[in-house]
Amino acid sequence: MLLKQLLEDDFNQIVDERLSDAAEELANSPYDTDLGLNMAQDAKKVVAGKLDIQTFHKKYHASLVKEFGQQVRQGTQEDNGKTKVKWGMVIDLRKCVGCDSCMVACKAENRTPPGISYNVVLEKEVGEFPHISKVNLPMPCMHCDNPPCVQVCPVRATFKLDNGIVTIDNDRCIGCRYCIVACPYGARSYDFGESYEDEMLGFNDVTSPEYGIERGKREPRKTPIGTVRKCNFCLHRLERGEEPACVETCIGDARFFGDLNDPNSTVSKLANSPRAFKLKSDLGAGPNVIYLR
Amino acid sequence: MSTVVKETKHPNDKAKGALPTLFKWWIGILLVLFAVGAYFIMERLWLGLTTTNLSSVTPWGAWIAFYIFFVGLSAGSFLLSTMIFVFGMKRYEKVGKMALFIAIICMIVALTFVLMDLGRPERALSALVHWNVTSILAWEMRFYVIYITLLTVELYVAMREDFVRLAAHDSLKGKVARLLTFKDSTINDYTRKRDHRWMKILGTIGIPLAILGVHGGTGAIFAVVSARPAWNSGIFPIIFVVSAMVSGTALLLAIYVIRCKALKQPIDEQMVVGLAKLMIAFLFIDLLLQFYDYLVALYSLADSHLLSLQTMMRSAYSWSFWGIQIFLGAVVPIFLVYWKKTAKNMNALLVAAVFVVIGIIGVRFNIVVPSQIVPIMEGMPAGDYYPTYNEWFVSIGIMAMGLLIFTIADRLLPLDQEMDGSEMGDQNAR
Repeated sequence: MLLKQLLEDDFNQIVDERLSDAAEELANSPYDTDLGLNMAQDAKKVVAGKLDIQTFHKKYHASLVKEFGQQVRQGTQEDNGKTKVKWGMVIDLRKCVGCDSCMVACKAENRTPPGISYNVVLEKEVGEFPHISKVNLPMPCMHCDNPPCVQVCPVRATFKLDNGIVTIDNDRCIGCRYCIVACPYGARSYDFGESYEDEMLGFNDVTSPEYGIERGKREPRKTPIGTVRKCNFCLHRLERGEEPACVETCIGDARFFGDLNDPNSTVSKLANSPRAFKLKSDLGAGPNVIYLR
Repeated sequence: MSTVVKETKHPNDKAKGALPTLFKWWIGILLVLFAVGAYFIMERLWLGLTTTNLSSVTPWGAWIAFYIFFVGLSAGSFLLSTMIFVFGMKRYEKVGKMALFIAIICMIVALTFVLMDLGRPERALSALVHWNVTSILAWEMRFYVIYITLLTVELYVAMREDFVRLAAHDSLKGKVARLLTFKDSTINDYTRKRDHRWMKILGTIGIPLAILGVHGGTGAIFAVVSARPAWNSGIFPIIFVVSAMVSGTALLLAIYVIRCKALKQPIDEQMVVGLAKLMIAFLFIDLLLQFYDYLVALYSLADSHLLSLQTMMRSAYSWSFWGIQIFLGAVVPIFLVYWKKTAKNMNALLVAAVFVVIGIIGVRFNIVVPSQIVPIMEGMPAGDYYPTYNEWFVSIGIMAMGLLIFTIADRLLPLDQEMDGSEMGDQNAR
């Protein structure tokens, strides 16, 4: 105990020596020193959980606007705490060339077995010769606002995260496949336990760590086999600060990924474009994958 | 009447010594079918659902069709029993307890089908632990448990007097009866009144439970799915309930006639004719509702609806609709029940009832399969589903299990005791 305290004191001393004096530093800046010090003091409280972030913003909003003028507005709105991240995707159909590389990237990233693809590209010819055009429709999970799959799951194994992503707890799923039946976009698949092992050496060596869960080898009767699987916007990549594999790989840059709650994000701006539309928007599911026609 | 009683008792007394050959064959065949089914059940549990022709496009198949079929049979025969115990339709009284017992067995069979269909059967009970209140399926699981409990209690109350009477006998049934009754159980005016009151109460609770909870609810599992337009209509759960009444009445009629023939008991022809008429009445309502459901779908001219109807009525699957659901399940039975030459013929009515039951199996398949054959979105693959050998043999095995339970329990429990039983009790008392 004593040793620990001594060590802590030593560390604090070193830190104090290294750190420059806050008041002195702030005095060098063109802005108000007292405001800076007070904000830093309260920010510590916010970090420690003793002060609500919203109260913090309320307290300093007026003085911040006075000090920094208009440019502060955007900043405070963003850190307001009221708005959470809502991940969404915009797919520009004019840019999509139908190369299917998003499908391949998804398969490689999530190591999906035969018969399962989190992301598919539907292809269709419209019109009659010579007036024809080809439409490619890349379809990941729509991560709906009111997901029908979540509505019907008897055991709450599938649910919506705060960031808008619809996930599955494969350790709870009983494999009744009601969600597959209820999904209007065909975005869900049942894992029958098939494998590429015959064509691809080492396919069974590792299961993709979906939702950050390391499952090790892919073996018969072992979760996620016997349960339902789906696109999760590459949640494991998002947590590392990377975009979903399909977005990153898209050769035509047709896919955009971002926060739909942030009005200044690229996806928000594109989602408000007159070209934007949603699939089966009459159903009330509220998809968060938006297409540009 | 006493001769009737003697005859009904006859085969059971013999049961202890030499079993009738017919009975031996019956049990033998069922055991073989069950053993074959058990092999395929093991295969399915070991290899998973790859043994089926199910896919992510057509995730529900034969087992789900059989599941809703048996839930329907159960609800149907239970509702028929309430006609007797709650509304006092005395002329069907002979099949009252049988109806209750068939309702229980059908639920067991139905839930076994669901268990087979689950990707993770070992997690089945977690459906009772975790509860998603917006999920119809979660509600159904709970309704099924309550329903089976209620059926069991009601059946016990219905048989209580018979148990007390039988406890004095030294037969197999008597031994079972002694196990299931208290030593000081008696029959007098008070207990008779009490039992009747309880039958009425349980039956009355059971009616909404069976209609709204168990079978209407099972229909709602499908009806609420807006992604599948063929299911998504308000009339759908009602069709479920009515077709349940059709199949329940038909099955009861068939089992009653077959059982009487097998045990060489006299058939109450008047009651059978009455049941057949009731069955056809339900069938007419069922056809009417289905007609309107199809008409509304057709009239919308929406691609999704037209495709579903087309898959059902004009595709490689249409034999099931025209051949089984309409011809075998409706046209032939209606003809048999109304044609003067067959209207009073027990064999013809038996055939009509069996055809109706088969027809309703067709109805259940035509509900489950065709709407999952239609691609969920334009451009997505269409389904291609036909049950595999595994699926058929598992189904046969489970049904054989149900019949085995029925046959054995029929030997152990007084399912066929009638009103003249009280006289018999008096005779024994002397």
